[in-house]
Amino acid sequence: MSESGPTEQPDKRHAVDALLLKRVAAGDRAAFSELYDRFSKPLYSTAVRILSDTAEAQDVVHDAFVALWDKANTYESSRGTAFSWALTLTRNRAIDRLRSRRRRAELLENSAPSDLGLDENSSGLSADDSADTSDQAAAVRAAVDSLPPDQQSALKLAFFGGLTQEEIAARLSTPLGTIKARIRRGLLKLRERLAARQ
Amino acid sequence: MIAERQEELAALGAVDLLSPAEQAELAAAAAADPAFAVLVASCRSTAAELAYSAPPVVPPTHLKTRILASLSTQTTPATARPARGTVIPFASWIGLAAAACFALAAAYFGQAFVTERAAVAALRDQQTLADLALRGATNQLEAERLISRRELAAASAKAAESSGLVAALESRLAEASLTAADSARQLVVSREQITSARRELTARDQRVSDLTRQLAAQGTLADYKIATLASLLGNSPQALAVAVWNPANQEGVLTVQKLPALAADKDYQLWVVDPQYPIPVDGGVFRVDPATGEARMNFRPNLPVKTVAKFAVSLERKGGVPKAEGPMVLIGP
Repeated sequence: MSESGPTEQPDKRHAVDALLLKRVAAGDRAAFSELYDRFSKPLYSTAVRILSDTAEAQDVVHDAFVALWDKANTYESSRGTAFSWALTLTRNRAIDRLRSRRRRAELLENSAPSDLGLDENSSGLSADDSADTSDQAAAVRAAVDSLPPDQQSALKLAFFGGLTQEEIAARLSTPLGTIKARIRRGLLKLRERLAARQ
Repeated sequence: MIAERQEELAALGAVDLLSPAEQAELAAAAAADPAFAVLVASCRSTAAELAYSAPPVVPPTHLKTRILASLSTQTTPATARPARGTVIPFASWIGLAAAACFALAAAYFGQAFVTERAAVAALRDQQTLADLALRGATNQLEAERLISRRELAAASAKAAESSGLVAALESRLAEASLTAADSARQLVVSREQITSARRELTARDQRVSDLTRQLAAQGTLADYKIATLASLLGNSPQALAVAVWNPANQEGVLTVQKLPALAADKDYQLWVVDPQYPIPVDGGVFRVDPATGEARMNFRPNLPVKTVAKFAVSLERKGGVPKAEGPMVLIGP
């Protein structure tokens, strides 16, 4: 597996991803396989984080990669990195499932878990599965952890929670305008801090 | 210069929090301003990095196999272009003709193959869409079934509650009817009791009136005179008499104790001393029980008495005398 390595710089990583995606668009299965190796772990982790269910996360990642294969020719690098595009394919599917599940849960009057995300201490995943030595992940976590707690919580709810602006505001008992501002400030700060390490 | 509003749109758009109207606003702004378009792309790429902040989980190895197996049944990507063919030189026109025929046949069959594969792919797409539609319809039906079940349960609960309420009201109504009947009976009894009490009250009023009249006729108790007569006898110092005098009726009662028994020719005689008369007024004669020395006599003086100054008892000859002659044995008060 050739997951983006600890020593690979972000710009180079994105360039390699874009090149591989271009080859995938041309029907190159080897490129697809390599792209899978590079993307699958963060995409799968995100799906698990959103859905708290490994079986559903596998379905989502499966569908996302099949869509990536089918729609690789529609990718436009001017609209974001290849990884962000693949993540969008994955995250949208995961959030669709999450919302569908919530609707069912609401119908069944089952209370939603207070923690939107996977309980990191009781995920049922093995220690080996959770092992991560990626500098990329460490750097992102450090950048996220450096944000003010209110910006962190707003960003995480927005990214992993599958909630609307209004639902996030209600969940955090905070005015909607404040939530928007926290997300804006948090994301811009995150952008600066991730850029600074390049 | 990018406005704060645009930054907000870019940030919210990066985490898919925009409404359709805001998405349109974002697209229009990005199309009009290349710098803003760069910001939007940058925000989206930055947001994507948040994926690395999720607790890392390694996907199972079979997932890749499963995905690759799915690809084998998928059409190749739309932009996939077949490799450009190599021009094969031909040595002779026969070979060229044969090659041309072969190429034509290959092209024909290749076109047919591609067309057929496209048709198969279209059918698969249709099947996928149909599956999605079916899944959606199934989910919708499931949702409607759950909603209906909940509404039915709510309606049943409400009906049961209403039935219970009606039963409770009927029970209370029955209790109220019984209470009303009891109250009516008690009312009749009470009326009878009131009538009886009124009759009794009338009778008592009548008796009170009678007694009042009698009392008025007899005078008040305060007007009664009660006098104790002490012994003047040396041989019977314990002798005692009590006289009760009713001035209204001009009559009284005399009670005596421990007076000596009398000889046959003697009587005791009561006297009432009234200052309006020069001598005591005769109150009558009496004898005592020889064994106990007791006697009781109702007396009425032979003259009207206005004021009783004293009572006195003397020992006289039998039958009494108009004016005291014998010795006084009792006097008082």
